[in-house]
Amino acid sequence: MYRYDEFDHAFVAARVEQFKDQVQRRLSGELTEEQFRPLRLMNGVYLQLHAYMLRVAVPYGTLSGRQMRRLGHIARVYDRGYGHFTTRQNIQYNWPALSDIPAILDELAEVEMHAMQTSGNCIRNVTADHFAGVAADEVADPRPFAEILRQWSSLHPEFSYLPRKFKIAVTGAEHDRAAIQVHDIGLHLKTNEAGELGFAVYVGGGQGRTPMVAKKIRDFLPAEDLLSYTTAIVRVYNLHGRRDNKYKARIKILVHETGTEELTRQIEAEWQALKESDLKLPQGDIDAIDSYFRPPVLPQRPEGWGALAAAKRTDTGFAAWVDQNVTPHKNPDYGVVTISLKPIGGIPGDASAEQMELVADIAEKFSQDEIRVSHEQNLVLPHVALADLHTVYELLLADGLATANAGLITDIIACPGLDYCALANARSIPVAQRISERFGAAERQSEIGELKIKISGCINACGHHHVGHIGILGVEKKGEELYQITLGGSADEITTVGEITGRGFSSEEVVDAIEKIVDTYLGLRTGKDENFLAAYRRVGAAPFKEALYGEVSRAA
Amino acid sequence: MSETQNEKQLWGREGFRDDPYIEAESLEVAGDAPDVILPLAAWLGLDDEVRRTSNRRIGVSVAPGEDIGPLLEKLDTIPLIALQFPAFNDGRSYSKAELLKGRHGFSGELRAVGDVLIDQVVFMLRAGFDTLQVTNPVALERLNARDLHDTPGYYQPGRGSAQANGTFSWRRTPAA
Repeated sequence: MYRYDEFDHAFVAARVEQFKDQVQRRLSGELTEEQFRPLRLMNGVYLQLHAYMLRVAVPYGTLSGRQMRRLGHIARVYDRGYGHFTTRQNIQYNWPALSDIPAILDELAEVEMHAMQTSGNCIRNVTADHFAGVAADEVADPRPFAEILRQWSSLHPEFSYLPRKFKIAVTGAEHDRAAIQVHDIGLHLKTNEAGELGFAVYVGGGQGRTPMVAKKIRDFLPAEDLLSYTTAIVRVYNLHGRRDNKYKARIKILVHETGTEELTRQIEAEWQALKESDLKLPQGDIDAIDSYFRPPVLPQRPEGWGALAAAKRTDTGFAAWVDQNVTPHKNPDYGVVTISLKPIGGIPGDASAEQMELVADIAEKFSQDEIRVSHEQNLVLPHVALADLHTVYELLLADGLATANAGLITDIIACPGLDYCALANARSIPVAQRISERFGAAERQSEIGELKIKISGCINACGHHHVGHIGILGVEKKGEELYQITLGGSADEITTVGEITGRGFSSEEVVDAIEKIVDTYLGLRTGKDENFLAAYRRVGAAPFKEALYGEVSRAA
Repeated sequence: MSETQNEKQLWGREGFRDDPYIEAESLEVAGDAPDVILPLAAWLGLDDEVRRTSNRRIGVSVAPGEDIGPLLEKLDTIPLIALQFPAFNDGRSYSKAELLKGRHGFSGELRAVGDVLIDQVVFMLRAGFDTLQVTNPVALERLNARDLHDTPGYYQPGRGSAQANGTFSWRRTPAA
């Protein structure tokens, strides 16, 4: 993984010193909250319902054991003993004292981390496939390019005051695990006929109150042109994106209002003028960044095959966990382990200090010192030998981290909602917890199969409800929390925005409504191999609406 | 330099300097002032001949929503372009500065006016601004102390910087 050099260390240290000074001026009263606001936002500090919240960047979701241990340490010393992993592969702390934040930033800088650009109208943390570098279906590891983009976008003088926040995601595989089509820029790393590396470029995806699937504006962009082309896109957006209404300020609205063809023309014209500039990436630089991400040399561990089979026979819990949470690695002696942060009835994405430290220990001993944070709010151990799986499972099990539900109905994405967030209209976490309890039985989950439920506590859609196979959106109506349901959303290579079923459900009703939808699916699927999304795409919304609202569908 | 901190003051890399320009809605309103900055529409309304033969310098002020296109073919005759920042977080003028200085080689004075705060000073200089018109008291104080909130290096090309030695092509260090 990438390691800071002196240049990076000095840069981050300078920023921490600046923020220390700004916090000091806020605490002394020299700065009002209003004057302090833009400064704290540049450093990932939000003011939430009850306290300041600090969001720490985890570039493209990759962490070392040492970094994860430090995140746990920060949770214990400066917060209430836990942290919350987010849908943008970051971690946020909900209860730090403002006066402690400079010390936290110092602690982070020591392990090559920071909180820059995790908020504000700038280019945010660049995300990537959480299985990058290990997925069997990958053309190339997308993280070197995410790292180049991370560096280039750091305190960019031209692009720090965009109309609105700007999110870039990169994947290197045909099967898109990075949801690139719901990002402002989505990059799909691929090779052309000549075998050269480049990107299909998507622009203008996003969720929020106007969900849009990104448009492909270029089929193949040579890798060396990554920064010039990205500059062209962001410059056109900076100049022409709407600033009169923050809800219409994302690039998706510019794409929509300008038209894909015309906007593409503007971007291409801008790019022609930038193409041969200083931004052209020398192959030597691409190679140098790439070398940080070389796959580790994995010792042959063929004994794992037999050991795994034997352990699965004697330990049914382990067998279920392996089947659900372990995915194939490029190396057949290894597996990719998803550590679910969705214990039955728990808070999606939360991890305690002890759990973070345990994961750090396991990663160092059993996963080449590497951990990933997934946008689905889980953790990933990318390189675990099959021979070590049972040991790893037992270690995880002891600390409540072996829930065998990756990709199943209880692997729910939820935003913090009204329990924390100043923007929310409704609570998300308690709904997630009750759904998780309702469907928590292992056999039932397994019978239902792959099903992504995503819950947002307001229209800003941080819980990605638009792209949930089942999406739940909390709204407030006449002082009551109400939950709208959408069906058929998806954020993979065939991205679709879910359709609203009809009138919303009260907090008491919503879990029953989800159960009706699930039962309807079980009743109409052609077999267990037709998952919820496939069945929905085959039959449409009608049977589900009928189950929810009766024969005379009020939603029609 | 004025004693009162709330007055507009002009600052460039070398420090505070006197501002010979006044801002006016039209040449008529400007009276005898030697150097004038006009709004874009008024500037474009001037006869080119009048402008060229005038014995005073006539600069132009551009709002974020206005197009710099009509200025491009006249750049070599423009002494000053002021790009406005009605609010610090309206970033359009950064891109225009890049285009004017970087792409189109504007060699006159490029000035940032409006909500110029200390935290954006380095961004403005790197985007190509030569001078900043400052009223914010904290910004004035810090500029006076030459405390620019700079970083020791930059991750992208920009004016006032040099290729950083022995590292990636996109990195720069502040020019000495």
